[in-house]
Amino acid sequence: MGRFDSLVPLPSASTGYGPRFDPRWKLGATLVGVCAALALQHVVYALLALLGAFGLAFASRLQLRWLMPRIGTVLLAVSIFALPLPLLIDGPGPAWEVGPVKVTSYGAIVGILLAVRAVTVVTLTLTLLATTPLDALLKAAHALGIPGLLVQIGLMTYRYLFLLADELQRLRVAVRVRGFRNAASRHAYQTAGQVAGTLLVRGHDRADRVHHAMRCRGFDRQFHSLTEFRTHLRDVVLFLCVSSVALGLVLLDRVIS
Amino acid sequence: MTSEPVLDIRELSYRYPQGPIALDQVTFSVSGGERIALVGPNGAGKTSLFLCLCGVLVPQAGAALVGGIDIRDAAQRRRLPGQVGIVFQNPDDQLFSATVLDDVAFGPLNQGLKPDEVRVRAIDALSRVGLNGLEERVPWNLSGGEKRRVALAGVLAMRPAILLLDEPSMYLDPRGRRELIDLLNGLGGTQVIASHDLEMVLRTCSRVLLLDAGRIIADGPAVTVLADRELMEAHGLEVPPSLLRRD
Repeated sequence: MGRFDSLVPLPSASTGYGPRFDPRWKLGATLVGVCAALALQHVVYALLALLGAFGLAFASRLQLRWLMPRIGTVLLAVSIFALPLPLLIDGPGPAWEVGPVKVTSYGAIVGILLAVRAVTVVTLTLTLLATTPLDALLKAAHALGIPGLLVQIGLMTYRYLFLLADELQRLRVAVRVRGFRNAASRHAYQTAGQVAGTLLVRGHDRADRVHHAMRCRGFDRQFHSLTEFRTHLRDVVLFLCVSSVALGLVLLDRVIS
Repeated sequence: MTSEPVLDIRELSYRYPQGPIALDQVTFSVSGGERIALVGPNGAGKTSLFLCLCGVLVPQAGAALVGGIDIRDAAQRRRLPGQVGIVFQNPDDQLFSATVLDDVAFGPLNQGLKPDEVRVRAIDALSRVGLNGLEERVPWNLSGGEKRRVALAGVLAMRPAILLLDEPSMYLDPRGRRELIDLLNGLGGTQVIASHDLEMVLRTCSRVLLLDAGRIIADGPAVTVLADRELMEAHGLEVPPSLLRRD
């Protein structure tokens, strides 16, 4: 499967049973799961939610070697915000003073909670993306009430992002073959600016041409699709299972707090 | 071929805002079923003429009836997509949907047709361009020739009376170009082909319009116009090699 078939390059995820589900129900279940994960306030329940997310990922036959590097990247990004929290947030629980610095257990817990919630959200989202082609997902979003224009913009962004990346690659080759090398110099910054500007102008020109092509084929600002979704019992069961677990965790979390 | 003109252009002029004049009193007509070529150097106005004929640009002067539709009338212009179909130079500008089927169905769905009919039309159009079985493929992963065919299918699915093709052989390898020539010859209908590929023009069109600086310079049988060395060189073109050999 090529990089264009899905937003994220997928090794073999689509061979799992995930693709058999109706994208609308999967999208709905994922949204419920994500909202629930974000609402959790206790690490224990956040960890349970993470376990549930991993369960879904494995049930969808996502490979660890595909999933883990992506989660690692997200963890790295989140750690920029999570790691300083023990030093920045004061709260209940023990605290330790190391010279002029105060380290709080509360801050550490908030940091862990932040990281766990982020990983849960990313795992659920990756599972959805890996088991559903993006066009089906956007059409499902439209079926669930997202305005057609937004869906159209999403589809076209997805389609032309890669073309723009190819254009950038060609520009990079063009400047390199003329002896340009990245360096911290005025000339290098100017060149980077010119490349970015050229890309912008070319993107704008292409947008114009695409708009012409759409008008010539009678574009009426509506999103039309031939895709027909069908609900099966398994879709409802999946949605109910994910929703029940998610809501159950939120309720338990709230009861404890 | 019917003698009734499906394209009737009278003294059509268009100037880009704050730009040069792109079309200067262009006059010609095309009969139903006729296949004509529009040749000329870069910047001659070929693409501008096409954009006028499909309603993207509105000419400031002159008259133009495209399949009976007055393109200067805003209300009538809305009906143009059903009458005239254009295949652009670069198929990447035209293939914007997520699957081949979605892309071919885009036009008919905009025409308000029912999904079942759209599906039949899309499959039929794909079959006409020889791309059966590619319905679920992602358009931007196709080869240059396949992309060109999908773009053409997307227009054919709308069943227009007139087909405009802007540099259809551009980006194609020799095999893709040969297949395209066969395809165009087999399609039938009224076609206007803008191209620098004069050999392809010779093999597909019986009549040639030579356009330069927005004006029609010559209008006549393809072999006669393209073999006129003086005329061709005066307007930045060359006599195609196959006609040179004939000399």
